[in-house]
Amino acid sequence: MAQLPPQTIQRDPQLFYWILFPITVVMILTGILRHYASVLMASPPKKVDQPSLKEQRSLMHGVAVRSNSHALSAPSFKARREFLTTAFESGAYLKDPERRGQPPANPMTDPGAMDGMMGMMKNNMAMMVPNTLIMSWINTFFSGFVILKLPFPITIKFKSMLQAGVATKEMDPRWMSSISWYFLCYFGLQFVFNFLLGSDNAASQMAQQMQGMAPQAPNMFGPGVDADKQFQAEAENLAVIKHYSVLDDVEQRLLEGIKTR
Amino acid sequence: MTWFSKSTTTFGFLLLAHACYSAYEHSALQSHRAASLSSLSATQQQAASSSLPLDISLETIVATVIITLGLVLNTAKLRPIQWRVWAGQIERAGEEGARSSSGEVDKDYVGNPFKLLESRPGFVDIRKQRKEFAEWVKQQ
Amino acid sequence: MTSSLLRPPGHLSPATALQLSQQAPNIIKNSPGAVTASAFSSLFSAPETPELWTIYENLLLSCLRTGDEESAHLCLGRLVNRFGDDNERVMALIGIMKEADATDDATLEVVLKEYEALLQENPTNTPIVKRRVALLRSLGRIPDAVTALTGLLDFSPTDSEAWSELSDIYFSQGMYGQAIYALEEVLVLQPNAWNIHARIGELLLMSIKSGDQNDSAKQLGEALKRFCRSIELCDDYLRGYYGLKITTTQLLEDPPKPSKQAESDGLSPPNLPTLQKLDGLATEKLGEITRRFTAGERGWQGFDEAEIVAARELLEKSSSTTVR
Repeated sequence: MAQLPPQTIQRDPQLFYWILFPITVVMILTGILRHYASVLMASPPKKVDQPSLKEQRSLMHGVAVRSNSHALSAPSFKARREFLTTAFESGAYLKDPERRGQPPANPMTDPGAMDGMMGMMKNNMAMMVPNTLIMSWINTFFSGFVILKLPFPITIKFKSMLQAGVATKEMDPRWMSSISWYFLCYFGLQFVFNFLLGSDNAASQMAQQMQGMAPQAPNMFGPGVDADKQFQAEAENLAVIKHYSVLDDVEQRLLEGIKTR
Repeated sequence: MTWFSKSTTTFGFLLLAHACYSAYEHSALQSHRAASLSSLSATQQQAASSSLPLDISLETIVATVIITLGLVLNTAKLRPIQWRVWAGQIERAGEEGARSSSGEVDKDYVGNPFKLLESRPGFVDIRKQRKEFAEWVKQQ
Repeated sequence: MTSSLLRPPGHLSPATALQLSQQAPNIIKNSPGAVTASAFSSLFSAPETPELWTIYENLLLSCLRTGDEESAHLCLGRLVNRFGDDNERVMALIGIMKEADATDDATLEVVLKEYEALLQENPTNTPIVKRRVALLRSLGRIPDAVTALTGLLDFSPTDSEAWSELSDIYFSQGMYGQAIYALEEVLVLQPNAWNIHARIGELLLMSIKSGDQNDSAKQLGEALKRFCRSIELCDDYLRGYYGLKITTTQLLEDPPKPSKQAESDGLSPPNLPTLQKLDGLATEKLGEITRRFTAGERGWQGFDEAEIVAARELLEKSSSTTVR
């Protein structure tokens, strides 16, 4: 098998100082900037007022009673069940009891909901704006430069990825163009940021994209959810639960467990 | 037990290093021979250079197994996963149970996590504690 | 020793508290003071850990307890530097500091007024609500404390610490039924807390002693079951076995009349052979624990000295009665 002589391209060493290095530095600095920008822009968690806190916690309490009912003895569970089902059904824990039965308010008009959306918008903007800027900056100044050669061989499939912006057919895919270096930094700098800023930084776009892709957890207490319906459902759950107690026959279990050990 | 596992691991690493060195020597020797015997036919040359002697491969495998064995023997004692055994260990041994072999108390050791329900740091009555402490000092 | 600084120091003995607070100057000197807000220097300094702030908080409490005000102020200063004095937890710590500094009731009343002003601003400030309850209780205004605490539990019924405090207040007033109810709420939130199971058993025993209810068959039965459950959740739980021993002794010596209500609730005490077996088990285990603890066996030194002494006394008493 005839071995092709390795391609050699004479590169100006200045390419390293004026393209490769600046792109890397700019990418790192943007990441850090983005981190601090998002820290500055982060709105503090909104204060929850007492009635809505009560509404949420009461519902959680109901869930806890239902799922941990086994820790109670039969009479004390019965008492709690009666009390909670009546309270839930009568809407005693609701934030504003007058609004029972009305359809939930439009989330767009609710200032609380708007806040959350604004936060998301801000995050997205912080991600989009610098990316567009850097991309166009590289495209105007550095397009068409071949700046480095990877030290390992790769297959022809990578050609389109690594040599974006350089339209030559015959060139070995190991050669890399400036725009490809940008992409490599874009995806590969996460660990640098982890090192510089700690693991929960906001610098890395990758993490944020992952977050965006993950299915949104159903928001239990978010706007647009009818708390009254949740309470009714919880009351029903409580009412139908078949109660057993860990205290039933615990002494038998204990004696057997000790014996078998 | 630890000296045993440590020496096992060291021995394994020695073996592995030896195997690597032998393989390197072998390939160096082969290429040297190939260069000097270039008059020989190509097929013979390829067969000679591609195969590694059996004892070197065997040594590598044995070394890996020995290293693994040593590392496994060196692992800390497993923590109990049964609730009552775990809880019993906390009650019985206190901090002693979470001590690793080097005598350090584990960093994430919290003791009885439900102790908080009885000590209730949020409701601490600092004046009473100060009074009690002053009395204790007087007694000493 | 830093590991014990990661836990709140409330239950420690005075000697340990003293030891901890004596470490305070050292720790304060060695840990980074104010974590700087500037980005540049934070690149080079060690990353701050949540443990550091826990240590400061616990150190603060230990120092206050032992009267080392200077170190306490340093700790508080760093916490304020880091989190600002509008952080709810820091607010509570500032309050504790003021309480500790107060010399007479008038100053405490001022602190109480401050708490109320803070709560006026933000009624959901849980740490401050808790401080207020603690202060009211410390001042001896128990009914006010109960009202404040029930107010907290009304809007936050998932706070197990508050339920536990409520139970303790009720218990100090001799209201066993309410105290047990509150502890059951704790169990709803933390169903595997073995010490709470044992605590309910103890409360039931005490309420029988005080004799404010007549259905002792049901209560003894439930106490027995609670102790059994606590042992089931935790091997060699001294407190559980101790309670079990007392309960079985009481049931064997003086069996209560079987009541219909206990029967229907499934809380009647077990039959005689089971009781005897349980009694034997508890005696055996208590003996083993005391023996191994006094022999200084490794892995058995975590028990409380006083509890071991009590267990030994109980064993001696029971053996002397059986000999007679």
